[in-house]
Formats: sequence, structure tokens, C-alpha cells
Amino acid sequence: MIIAERRPLPEILANLSPYKKILVLGCRGCVAVCSAGGDREVAILAEAIRLARERQGSPVEVYEEILIRQCDPEYLQPLAEWMSKIEAVVSMACGVGVNLIADLYPSLRVYPGVDTTFYGANVALGEWVEKCRGCGDCIIDQTAGLCPIARCAKNLLNGPCGGSQGGKCEVRKDMPCVWHLIIDRLKERGELERLLEITPPKDWRPAGGDGLRVRKRPDLTLS
Amino acid sequence: MEVKSHLQRVLSSGQLAVTAEIGPPRNADPEVIKRKAKLLKGYVDAVNITDCQTAIVRISSIASAILVMAEGLEPVAQMTCRDRNRIGIQADLLGASALGIRNLLCLTGDHPKFGNHPMAKPVFDLDSLQLLKLVRDLEEGYFANGEEIKGRKPQFFRGAAENPFAEPYYIRAYRLAKKIKAGAQFIQTQIIYNVDRFREFMEDCERLGLLDKVYILAGITPPKSVGMAKYMKYHVPGLDVPDEIIKRLEGAKDVREEGINIAVELIQRIKDIPGVKGFHIMAIEWEEAVPEIVKRAGLYPRPEYEVPIYPFVVERVVERPVEMVVEKVIEKVVEKPVEVIVEKEIEKPIEVYIEKAITELEEGMAKGQISLESFIEILANLKAGLKQIKAGMDSVEETIEILEQEFFGKGKPTKVELKEVPKVEEKEKIKPQVQPEIKEKVEVKKEAEVKPEEEKIAPEPIAEVKPEAKGEKKPEVKPETKPEEKREESAEKGPEVKPEVKPEVKPEVKPEVKAEGKLEVKTRLFKGTYRPLSERAKKVPESAYLDRATGEIQEVVIGKDGKAIKVGGAKALNFHYFEGELPNSIQIAYEILDIKPEDWPESLAKYYQDVWHDPALWAKKCVEEYGASAICLYLLGTDPNGLNLPANHAIEVVKKVTSAVDVPLIVWGSGNAEKDVEVLREVSEIVGPRGAVIGPVVDTNHRTLGAVAMGYGIPVIASSPIDVNLAKQLNILLENIGVSLDKILMDPSIGALGYGIEYTFSVMERIRLAALYGQDTKLACPFICSIGKEVWKTKEASLPTDETFGDQEERGVLMEALTAVTLAMAGGDLLIMRHPVAVKLCYTLFNSLSQA
Repeated sequence: MIIAERRPLPEILANLSPYKKILVLGCRGCVAVCSAGGDREVAILAEAIRLARERQGSPVEVYEEILIRQCDPEYLQPLAEWMSKIEAVVSMACGVGVNLIADLYPSLRVYPGVDTTFYGANVALGEWVEKCRGCGDCIIDQTAGLCPIARCAKNLLNGPCGGSQGGKCEVRKDMPCVWHLIIDRLKERGELERLLEITPPKDWRPAGGDGLRVRKRPDLTLS
Repeated sequence: MEVKSHLQRVLSSGQLAVTAEIGPPRNADPEVIKRKAKLLKGYVDAVNITDCQTAIVRISSIASAILVMAEGLEPVAQMTCRDRNRIGIQADLLGASALGIRNLLCLTGDHPKFGNHPMAKPVFDLDSLQLLKLVRDLEEGYFANGEEIKGRKPQFFRGAAENPFAEPYYIRAYRLAKKIKAGAQFIQTQIIYNVDRFREFMEDCERLGLLDKVYILAGITPPKSVGMAKYMKYHVPGLDVPDEIIKRLEGAKDVREEGINIAVELIQRIKDIPGVKGFHIMAIEWEEAVPEIVKRAGLYPRPEYEVPIYPFVVERVVERPVEMVVEKVIEKVVEKPVEVIVEKEIEKPIEVYIEKAITELEEGMAKGQISLESFIEILANLKAGLKQIKAGMDSVEETIEILEQEFFGKGKPTKVELKEVPKVEEKEKIKPQVQPEIKEKVEVKKEAEVKPEEEKIAPEPIAEVKPEAKGEKKPEVKPETKPEEKREESAEKGPEVKPEVKPEVKPEVKPEVKAEGKLEVKTRLFKGTYRPLSERAKKVPESAYLDRATGEIQEVVIGKDGKAIKVGGAKALNFHYFEGELPNSIQIAYEILDIKPEDWPESLAKYYQDVWHDPALWAKKCVEEYGASAICLYLLGTDPNGLNLPANHAIEVVKKVTSAVDVPLIVWGSGNAEKDVEVLREVSEIVGPRGAVIGPVVDTNHRTLGAVAMGYGIPVIASSPIDVNLAKQLNILLENIGVSLDKILMDPSIGALGYGIEYTFSVMERIRLAALYGQDTKLACPFICSIGKEVWKTKEASLPTDETFGDQEERGVLMEALTAVTLAMAGGDLLIMRHPVAVKLCYTLFNSLSQA
């Protein structure tokens, strides 16, 4: 899922300072699952904004709404009704939602309530770890299912580098060296000879190096 | 001590400066650069060396600059952001300065896509503005991370580029202003051919007061050929080549001569534009044109160099000891922040809100400043947490209260009791439950109201007596009610009661039960009386359970005139009368087949085997004996995997059925997308005018069947494989071709009890919640559930009666009824069923859950 993190309150408040009527818009998609922008977080942020603005002597009307998703025009339709009632929206969806709102409702002032951080897994209660970088050209069939693009600080394709010590990465000691893990696993499988091959430089265009990425299913599009 | 570059001195002296451009070779031959430098020497003040322009690999700009210097010519090195991150950029800049390069042009750089390594990873760690700032920061003694440069700082005359011809025009001067703010001291413009536009740009710059803050060098390129001019016009974004330039070249005897003339004329026209401080002549792969242009434009001779350009080797020797010192210092500085960062990151996740708050408060107090925002955030967190705890406590208290009541028999039971009843009683009980319709007489209503009161009295005084009391009470109370109703009705309408009386109300099952006589089904039944939630849950505050929907389900009308039935229209979840209006009760259609069923178990077959040879008789029996308010005709015989009967067969059957009964008809095709198009298109011609539903419509045949349905204005069954998104997608597809949402019944593809009913339930529930609470209008269509088909094909429905599995018929009936009721709970609005007793049971249950 897409992982996000609530933006620092002062930054959100700074964005909202000119407005008196604000909608805090949550999303029940990924950000709800990773506890960044679901029902509870919307309630907390709305309350925090109210309190802060009251303290600043410029009270504000804060409305709360949570949509099923914000990355789908259909689900955003309720916003059309809000337009007349509010001056600004703080979207707690990932950047996809904020962008889509901005695309679809150009006259609406929409501000991000979260920083969209990465694609990750919920490895433990309250802990999410990046597992994929969405580089568009999967190579983990070669690396025992472990992604060096997402999980190696240097994105090495022919790792590990000299900084791998005791299974840890030199860049951050709390970070396992993914190439160490890959090698362990390939060894177990008797496939270590895979690493004798030099992996050629990666084509970075599908990773976004070629600009906006678009996916189309001609059989699903409406002609 | 500031060392001005020669270019900087020329510009600051107020003379028009002249620079040119050298493109390094795509090999390691230094002679190419030296030759070009020799050509230009004396005609230009400095020469600009590209940094792999258009992302094509060449000798690097800095290395080329050194080679140019060796020829006694001042270079302007280029630095782009495409190939280096901030580390590489800074390293190269330190090196360039150390080697004596004094002019630097800062660019974002062409995207790799345009070069000969399009699959290279584009770096773009910085952009040109950030780069300019970085260079200035370096000169002021700071690295990009804010760290101080100990020792000699690099020094550059900083340049940037600006394109007056890129759109939108109005932003260009502002962007230039931003570059000046970031540190640009001189500007090279994009190649100018459209002088008018360039003049406007310069006027914009003047208005913004930029002209005294920066030296602007106008970009000039002599067109070498017509082809080159056309290429620039049509293929280089942001390059404006007026047609007249191309015409002049096309009409010229000597194109090159004409190209030089054009360049000279451009210079003449541009040099008087206020703010133009010089020219940057980019004679691409045509360096020998530059001296000619400079001479003819009256820009020759160039000012002498005050300080001769000397080779870098000398400087390197001088700098060496200094470099050593710098390195050591940097190492020390680097170590500290790394440690600090590690500590911080380990601590963060462990901190709990309160601990964090205390820490922050302590820190804040120590510093004499507390972050108000963080304090507020903590308070908000605590407040939300407390609310949740309170809500949790409340519900715990409620639960305890309910348990107490259950155990000690105080107050009313919270659940509707189940009761074992023999068949005869069942009949009796069912009869009174016929919903008193609002249209009916007032007397009937009164009686209905009386009943629950009487019941209440009984259980209250003695808990132990309950079972008995109930058993007695019921038969007593109900028979009374029933006959009265009956009499009234029959007085008016005669023996064949209901269909006409109440189009919306379910017919009683009485006649059928009598006719069959042999019904041996023993079932556990609900009492079948509705008690409002407000009464059952009167100790619970309404706010604890009330959650009103914001959406509304479409109301679909099936059939025409008085016989039409309506489904959907709900503003709350099914049976949640306390939360919103549910204008239409749940409808059940009897399923009949176009052919004689092969695999129906005896327990089901016995009700229909006398009529199933003729669909017309079958339909008639359902309506007249069992009181069906709608018929679903399943065209099983047309299935290509079965008998594969032609469309004509279907037409015959549908004709017969439509002439036999006048209740709304649902025509359900074989499920083969292609065959259904063929069959249903024909069938619609017959059923269209009288109103009917056709289906199943799937994504592969939605266009044709959607169009057919629209033609007759009849609803369709949108059938999708048990998935929220697929269901929604099909609705959108249908809507896109013009089928309005109030003409769609959603068939979510259900599973019978024991055959995936949980999955069906959760998908249907999610769809319904999205429609009612998630503002998802594209899912706000009523559900149609083909219950009978799924239930009666299960193994369990057909297994013979035995000790383990019990009575075959009771089992089948319960399976069908349970599946139906469960899916009704999930949102089912129109149920298609087979067994008359199961239908009866369902009505009983529905009534017990419905408001009278």
C-alpha cells in the first residue's frame, strides 16, 4: 500500500491561515490502513486545527468528511457539494488524491495533509517499511524476490558493495543489506551462479525518467 | 581576494561583450578543441563549452575548458544537473575553480531522452536555480548542506540561461528575476530570430528592474542551411524562427553567406535594445563563421586580456598543501552529524505521545520557548484518545446491562425468540402476518397494534411462564385477527384474494398450503411480529446506534400499470427502519423454467411437476396458487452448453407466459453472453411493451443488450462476478451507453448457504455501504439475487432424508430461506426463489423485521 505520514501541524496551519471554513478530507484507502489519513486521523487533525486557531484568536469552522477513496473521480463527487460551503480542503489522502482533487476542482484550494512517503508493508504494529519503489521494470525475479532498487541505498544491481558489514548496510546500521539477504537466499537455493552474470545498467524510463507514467487497458477504456 | 574574469571585466566596463560556443568532440582528441579555440581567439572575450549538450556524450566541459585555457582563451564552463547529484556537482566545481576556471554557466540540462543514452537514470537532484544558489553558497564559503568550507573558496562569474521564446511568455522575465535572486550575474538567451518578441521580453525585464542587476547576452546563431533553419523551427521546442528567415535562405545564392548576413543584421537590430550587454554567438559546428560575424557586426577588435590565461599546472602546485588541510577538517566535521542523526532516529519510534510531550515541554522550558503547535497537537491526541475510551466504556456498560437482563429475566428479552412449531401452527401464524397495508381499512391496523401489546403483558410478570404463554397466546390471538381480515377481503373481492388488492404487498401463502396439504416441513420460526428498535433498545441512547445514510438507492419499476412492482428506493440498510425510509418491501419472484427441469430434487419438484411441461401453466400456478407477484423465467433451454434451443423456442415460451399471467416478468437468459444477445433481443420485442426485466447483461454484451433495453425502456440485470469494482464498472459502462441507473438491477453473482454466502454477503454489504454511506452513486442500484438457482443445485439440497441430515424438504427449504434472508440483510431487494414454503418463510421473517 501507499504509506503516508501526517505533515507537521505548523505547516498545515500556515497553509490554512487565510481561511475560515475548512474541510478535512480523509480517505479510507491506503492512508487509513497506515493510520495517516483515516477516520481517526481526520478527527485528530480537525480538533488540532480548531484548538490552534482558537488559541491564535482566529477561530475556524472545520468540517470533517471521509471518502472511500480519493484516487477515483467517482468517489470525489461529494466535493462538488462542499465547494460552496468551504474555502479550503486539507486532503489526508496520498498525493494521488490531492492531485486528482486539484485536477478536477481547479477552483478549490486543496492542501496536502500528509506527506506521501513510499510503497510499503505493515511489518509490525505501527511500523511500515518500504518494499517497492514502483520503478516499472521488476527485477526481483533475479534477486530472490527482494528488491535492491527499493532496499539498497545505492540501488545497486550488482551488489553488495564494500559497505555491507555483518549483514547491515553502512548507510544506516539499522538497515539490513538487501544484497546480503539476496545472496543468502540464492545460496540456499543453489542459485548463486546467477550473481556471476553482470546485470546491465537499468532502463530508468519506466521508473518515471520518461515523464508522466500512464497505464491503459484498451479493452477497458471507453471509446 | 576577488579575481574578476576577463568576461566580467569587459561587461563591467560597459562594452558589448562577445562570447562564442565550442562543442567538444565525441572522442578523446584534444586537438579538435584546440583548433576551434585557435579559430576564435582574438574575436571573442570568452568561449562557452557545452556540458554534453543534448545529452550526448562528449569530452567534459571542465576538461575542455582546461584545453581552451591552454590556448590562451578564457572559457565559460557549463554545469548541468542531469548527470551529477549535488555531491558530484560540488566536487567538480571545487575542481574547476582549483584549475582556474572563472566563468560558469549553470543549466538544468537536456533530458537524457534527447541524447544517445535515453535509458540513463536522469539525476536532476537539483535544478538550475538551486544550482545557481549552490554556486553562490560555495563562493560564500558553504557547502549545500550548510557546512562551512574551511580554506580557499571557489570563485566564479555565474551565468544562467533564459529562453524568451518559451511559453508562457509572461513568466519568463519573472523566472529571470528568480535566477538573478539565486545568484546569476550574466544571462545567455536562447537563439534569437524573432526580434520583436525579444524586445518585449527585454521590456518586461526593464519593468521588473532587472537590467541593472544582470548582464544579458543575446543569443545569435547564423543559420548554416535551410534544413537547419527548418529543423530549429519545427523540432526544437521554444525556438522561434520566423518564415522570412527561411524564405531568405531559400532564395539565397550562397546560403552560408546569407546565414552570416542574417546573424549580422540581427546583431545590428538587437544591440540598441536597452539592457543588451553583449552577444553570445553559437555557430553550431561552424566556428569559422564567428570571426566573420564579429568583424562585420563592428564588434572587432576585442579588448585585450588584462591577466593572461595561464595553464592550470602551476596553480595545482601552489594549492596542494591547502587541499590537504581542507580534507582533514572536513572529515572531522562529517563525523559529528552522522552520530547525532543515528541517535535521533533510534529514539523517535520509541517515544510515546506523552513522553514526547514531556520531553518537548522540558526542552521548551529549558530553552524558554514551548512549541505551541506541538502542545496543541498533543492535546488533540489526548482528547481523541479519551473520547474513544469513553465510547468503549459506554458500550461495555451497555453490554453488562443487557446480560443482566438476560440472566435475571428483568425487563424484556432483547432478542426475538425462536419457537418450535408444528406445521399446523405455522400456517396459522403466517396468515395474520400479511402486512396490513396503509391502503387497507383502519380496523386491520388497530388489530395489528393490539397484538404486540398483549404479548408484552404476558412475558413481563413471570419469566418462567414465557414458553407456555407464548404457545397459548399466539394461536388465540391470531386466528381472531385472521378471519376478520379474510372476511373483509373476501366480502369485497371473492375467494381469489390478493393480487389486485395490494400491488406492493406480498400475497398470503394460505391457499397454496391448503392445496398441498402434504407439507411436512417442520421449521423453527420467528414469531413474526415486528417490535420497533426504539422499544427493544430503549435503554441505549439513540446516538449510540443511529447512523443515517447520506445516499439513496435508485428505485426501479418493473412492469407496467397496476401490476408493476417497485424495488429499491432505500435510504437505509435493509430492515434499518429506525435509520431511514425503506419505501419498498423486499420482493420475491418465483422462478420458472422454459424446459422441464432435470435435476430438481423431489422435495422441490413435487410442487411443480404437474405443470412444468408447460411454462404458461407453471407461471399461472405460481401466481394463482402461491400468490407470486412476479415471475422469473429462466431460459435454461437456450444454453449452448445444454439443449441449445434456438431463439424461436424462447419466443414461444415467453409468448405463452405473457399471455397466461400479467404479473411483472423477469427474463433470465442462459448466461452465455453471445447467445443471450441473440435470444433476449428477440424476446424483448414481446416483453418490452408490457414491461419486464432482461438479463443477465455482462461487460461483453452490455452494448447490444443495453441498447435493446433502452429501446423498450425496460430495466436490465447487470451481472458481474462478485466484486465491488467490477459491479461498479459495469454500471458505469451501461450508464455510458445511455442506460440510466434507475433501469439497472445489480446481480452480484451470489453463492448459496455453504457455497460462499459469506463472500457474497460481504461484497453486497460493501456495495450497499458505498452507495448509502460512501456517496458512490454508481453503486446505488437495487440488488437482484438468483437464490433458487444456487441453492437447489447444491448437493445438500438433494441428499435424501436421513438421520444425520434430517428431512430433505425441511433442509432444502431452510437453505433457500436462509440464503434469501441473509442476502436480504446484505441488501438484496429482489429475490428469485423456487420453493413455495421457503418463500413463505421468507415473508414471515421479513415481516417480523419490518414495520407494519
